[in-house]
Amino acid sequence: MPADLRGLADIDRLIHEPARLALAAILSVVESADFLYLQRETGLTKGNLSSHLTKLEEAGYVAIEKTYRGRIPLTLVRLTDAGAAAYKAYRARFKKFLEKT
Amino acid sequence: MVDIEKIEKRTVQSVYDDGFFEIALGLIFVLLSAYFFSQTIIPRGSSINAILTGLFLIVLVSAGFLVSRFVRFFKRRVTYPRTGYIVFKKKEQSPKRRAAAAIAGAVIGGSLAALYGLSPSFKALIPALFGLLFGIAVFFIARRIGLVRFYVLSAVSATIGVVIAAAGVEETRGTFLFFLLFGAALIISGLAALFVYLRRFPKPAADVPEGPDAR
Repeated sequence: MPADLRGLADIDRLIHEPARLALAAILSVVESADFLYLQRETGLTKGNLSSHLTKLEEAGYVAIEKTYRGRIPLTLVRLTDAGAAAYKAYRARFKKFLEKT
Repeated sequence: MVDIEKIEKRTVQSVYDDGFFEIALGLIFVLLSAYFFSQTIIPRGSSINAILTGLFLIVLVSAGFLVSRFVRFFKRRVTYPRTGYIVFKKKEQSPKRRAAAAIAGAVIGGSLAALYGLSPSFKALIPALFGLLFGIAVFFIARRIGLVRFYVLSAVSATIGVVIAAAGVEETRGTFLFFLLFGAALIISGLAALFVYLRRFPKPAADVPEGPDAR
């Protein structure tokens, strides 16, 4: 396998999935975002978004905090340090791959 | 394929979708213009003038705080229920950068004060200088977030300042006009953005629970 493709084969597949990549990209520039914001920006259904967030949470990439804004439930999501590092590494590796090809 | 950079930029831009930042900044400019207007009608050295100067300094110093309070107040009521809540990371400025900014500010301020004292004809250029300075500041904001309307506002600021100076309006009246017109331009731009935003995102019918528990 050429070295370029080997580099690509090593990428983090959990983040590589388009919906989760979009979520990581949004969360990488904010301190935290709520469920409504993430749903609107990604265009995912509630169920889909919830499923992707659960996968990211299980991997330790995001932290989900359930709180209240007044009497309305609010789900806040933020990228953990591990998630930020994984996203940064993915971004760098993918950029390198695109530059080579 | 997912365009990561576009998503990151779009996230930063989304903060300005509702136009509240421009409206708040515009109101501060209009408030400051009221001070410059008062300088054209109230005699210098009077007690009212001293009070107004004190108020002007308070508004000037707390402008950042006032803008952020105004934006937060309206976002909580209008934006978050419609398009969700985000909070940005607080950027820690390095001491070197802070010192460089302070030195640059002192050099610019000192040069302006020196020119002001040396040449009476320089006073006529003050509105143009304000226009160019705010134009450059807004241009940097526009470049960072990539929103076209901020590039337009940058050009508007420079144009208003230069036109007032070229028209030969007396300095205090010219400064009043610059702050009033640029403030109005900011408010109009913000209101237009807010109008588009409210049409795109009507208020949800009911406060439905959100998040994974809502399924």
